[in-house]
Amino acid sequence: MGAVFEGKDKEMTQALQNLFWILIFPGFVFTVCLGLVASWIVRKVSSLVQWRVGPPFFQPFYDVVKLMGKEVLIPEEAQQTVFKAAPVVGLAGVLLLSTMLWRITIDPTRLFVGDIIVAIYLMVLPSLALILGSSASASPHAAVGTSREMKLVMGYELSLVLAFIVVIIKSGGQLSLAAIAQQTPVFSISGLLAFLAALLCVQAKLGFVPFDMAEAETELASGALIEYSGALLAVWKVMQAMMLVALPLFLVMVFLGGFTGALWAGIAKYVLVLVLLILIKNTNPRVRIDQAMKFFWFYCGVVLVAAVILAIIGNSYGINWL
Amino acid sequence: MSWKIWSLKKSPWVFHVNTGACNNCDIEIVDLLTPKFDVERLGIKLVGSPRHADALLVTGGVTRQAAPRLREVYRQTPKPCVVFAIGACACDKGIFTTGYHMVGPVDKIIKEIDPNAIIAYVPGCPPKPEAIISGVVTALSVL
Amino acid sequence: MNQEELNSKLSEIKDKLFAVESGKSRAGSDNRIYLSCESENSYAVNKFLFEDVPLRFVTATGVDSDDCFEVLYHYAYDQTSCVITLKAFIRDREKPSIESIAPFLPAAEWIEREIHDILGIEFNNHPDMRRLILADDWPEGVYPLRKDAKKPADRLDGEPPTRPMVQSQSPARRTVQLSKPVLPVGPFHPLQEEMEFFQLTVDGEIVTDIDMRISYNHRGIEKISESLQFDQVPLLVSRICGICSASHPLAYVQAVEEIADITPPERALYVRTIIAELERIHSHLLWVGLAGHFIGYDTVFMWAWKYREPVLDLLEEITGNRNNYGNLKVGGCREDVGDELQPKMLIELDKIEKKTEMLTKAVLDDPIIHARLKGVGVLSKEDAIQFAVTGPTARGSGVAIDVRRDDPYAAYADLDWNVITQPEGDVFAKAVVRLLEVLEAVKITKQAVKKLPGGPIATEVKEIPPGEGCGHAEAPRGETFHYVRSDGGNRPVRHKVRAPSYVNVPSFKASCIGGHIPDVTITLAAVDPCYSCTERMAVVDRDGSVLHNYDALLKLSREKTARISKELGAPELKMEDL
Repeated sequence: MGAVFEGKDKEMTQALQNLFWILIFPGFVFTVCLGLVASWIVRKVSSLVQWRVGPPFFQPFYDVVKLMGKEVLIPEEAQQTVFKAAPVVGLAGVLLLSTMLWRITIDPTRLFVGDIIVAIYLMVLPSLALILGSSASASPHAAVGTSREMKLVMGYELSLVLAFIVVIIKSGGQLSLAAIAQQTPVFSISGLLAFLAALLCVQAKLGFVPFDMAEAETELASGALIEYSGALLAVWKVMQAMMLVALPLFLVMVFLGGFTGALWAGIAKYVLVLVLLILIKNTNPRVRIDQAMKFFWFYCGVVLVAAVILAIIGNSYGINWL
Repeated sequence: MSWKIWSLKKSPWVFHVNTGACNNCDIEIVDLLTPKFDVERLGIKLVGSPRHADALLVTGGVTRQAAPRLREVYRQTPKPCVVFAIGACACDKGIFTTGYHMVGPVDKIIKEIDPNAIIAYVPGCPPKPEAIISGVVTALSVL
Repeated sequence: MNQEELNSKLSEIKDKLFAVESGKSRAGSDNRIYLSCESENSYAVNKFLFEDVPLRFVTATGVDSDDCFEVLYHYAYDQTSCVITLKAFIRDREKPSIESIAPFLPAAEWIEREIHDILGIEFNNHPDMRRLILADDWPEGVYPLRKDAKKPADRLDGEPPTRPMVQSQSPARRTVQLSKPVLPVGPFHPLQEEMEFFQLTVDGEIVTDIDMRISYNHRGIEKISESLQFDQVPLLVSRICGICSASHPLAYVQAVEEIADITPPERALYVRTIIAELERIHSHLLWVGLAGHFIGYDTVFMWAWKYREPVLDLLEEITGNRNNYGNLKVGGCREDVGDELQPKMLIELDKIEKKTEMLTKAVLDDPIIHARLKGVGVLSKEDAIQFAVTGPTARGSGVAIDVRRDDPYAAYADLDWNVITQPEGDVFAKAVVRLLEVLEAVKITKQAVKKLPGGPIATEVKEIPPGEGCGHAEAPRGETFHYVRSDGGNRPVRHKVRAPSYVNVPSFKASCIGGHIPDVTITLAAVDPCYSCTERMAVVDRDGSVLHNYDALLKLSREKTARISKELGAPELKMEDL
């Protein structure tokens, strides 16, 4: 009798613990807070580059709280269900991704917490959700934004996967993120090339200049998100903030050896990636979508194929620096 | 004070509506974003869609062609929202009062569709950027 | 060809005219010519003037005289500083009509539609007679500029005050057949500070058609002007457009001074030059910033606007206001450039010059800006002449016209400066013209401050005699043209305003179609459109295409960067120095 209760109890505790993992720490609440801080850093550094004072520390938090309190307007012609569900789907994707990444960081010994392929799939979800949501909103501006987002996804996704293939080769065919995070492939020619390409892909995934054409304010009046308001817009903003944590963190784990060393070293790596992203954002004008496609498919593609070849050669002859 | 109003004051996103202004007030509004005045430090942000806005900065004395569009933008703005009439024209049509194509001013047009609208006035031709900031902050503090 | 040859050429059409008068301009020379003809002959005479002389079309003015209607066609002959006005008299007041000149002169398309709107004159064979500057709900048959017109009652569209769900987001989506994807831009769009409505028909990312509707900013200034006294009008016209608020009054007071034969004191001419050039500096810097913003380069936006602030401070110190200076009056100026201010001005101007040089270098050397702007939105020299564009839009297409040089006013004739031109006609060329013009403007201002003569800044003006005058001035965006007619009373009986954007904006039909959506927005912005000046619309269905090859562009842009930096001859500067 006792054993059964104990078993159930254990199940309950396990479930509760999992829930805690996903919802509070290091999942939703923690990542959101961190993401809002990260988006403050982005805005603050951008303003400093532009000789401005910039927003106060709690500004992203105020913005989200305010949006939650606003009225939600839904366009008459919109596909209601999809319009409302899309931001939630995107949020769920990022939530899973970030929980997964954090768990590997904190407790890498646990058996299955996902491999790099799952992570790649989860990373596509927010973009897909954005495409779904904006095409459901039946606005011509959103339609152009959607088509740009679709082209952009098709552009960078190939490069991103190629970059990860380099890492997988370097780590000797390992797919588990925990194992990959033990290595620092960036200290090799192919790894460095892959890291730089992946950094630009992440720039595009985050919708930062020069790859912000889907949300280009001046061309499309806030593009894909034009029809969203109130709480639904807040969900998008939260999602973007979380991406700001998850994507650089993912790069840190895959290329820079994750949080394996001291905690401060891990944080420093994350901040480094974030600052790189911000600097690229502030020193470039927006490119056109055809220029972006060309960039990812042609230039990035060629470089990455070279990197893959280098990595294979390096691996088979045991030359680690290649 | 409800948390909705509290957060609205902390993060007023504004949408700029020109209803037939001479461009001066509009330039001064854009000027607010730039290094000398930088209103982002007060949480104020210029947004590209009325659906994202908490306040409308309306300039111009409302021409006949612009009036229906102003009403449409006001309808598309989620409530609660504040309407700011920026400049002499927006407040009372200014020098263009006798014009045959003017149907404003702004408060008349907005009150026709929403008698309870919150409208704040910043006079001047054009109001100095400092005056606009002061007007926005004063209006928000009495909410 | 000089003025005598022009006169002899005009004698070829003597038989179609019933009067030729020459009027004096401010300088006292006979470079204003007024020709008169009956409405039946106007088509032939116009064709002769535009195609055979050939003259640059400026604008047309419709006038409601007591017993007839007049349509005045204004032309400029830039080489001799001549302004030629052809008056066509329409005697039939009941059903006024005249032959349209738009079929051979696309630049006249808008103004004929405007005259139809405000005076009810029919233009036969006009390609597109849709309503132009009046609102959609303006009642038919009410012509506001007729002398007996009354303001119609405001009609409200009686929609209920409750707001259930959002309706279609723009009027266009209700009316346009969505067989082809249509992208509405405006009336409220972050692209433009002002309100206008463009409808882009797009095929994917490529624009196949553009339609414009611009009545949103129409305030009826020409009519209001008729109710104000001569001395009050400058304050009104400075509010046509906030950023041309020195140029419009300048053109107006020159027209009135022409009527009354007034020569302002020399110091006033220098003060006018200083104000006008400071305005040009801040206007061009503003444009550079906005252009940066349009292509997603917010850092350039912030920097350019930061450099602009000291100019506004100077203007505030001189005139008391950052914009809308209200400094001009008939016969002189209201506020002086104080002697104590001059050393400070020179220091500030030096700083501005240095910053602008660095900004110019930074912008012109940026390979991404080259790739983004070169070969985009090309307006060929032929199109520029056909559409009679002015200002940097014309000079960026290799048409070297500048009122400051062609018909010198204020103190420009005494100062040393250059007219900047670029042959390419693309957005990049226009940016280069504007940036270099800022440097020229700084040069002019510095000279004017140093040479500032003593004496009063205004002469006393007693009364304005009957007569007519044409004044024009080079605004930051191009030529501003004002026509004023006086009957000897204390108010103008007709005051026509033509702002530069009025001819620059229709050139979109030549420069936009075939471009990408992101290119179109910067192309529209490249003429620095000023809709509060323009307040009009047009239709386009012509197919021109702009093809670009990215690699070739990059190559070209690099070559040109090298060339420009050589031409500029400025010291090597880096972005960090800014």
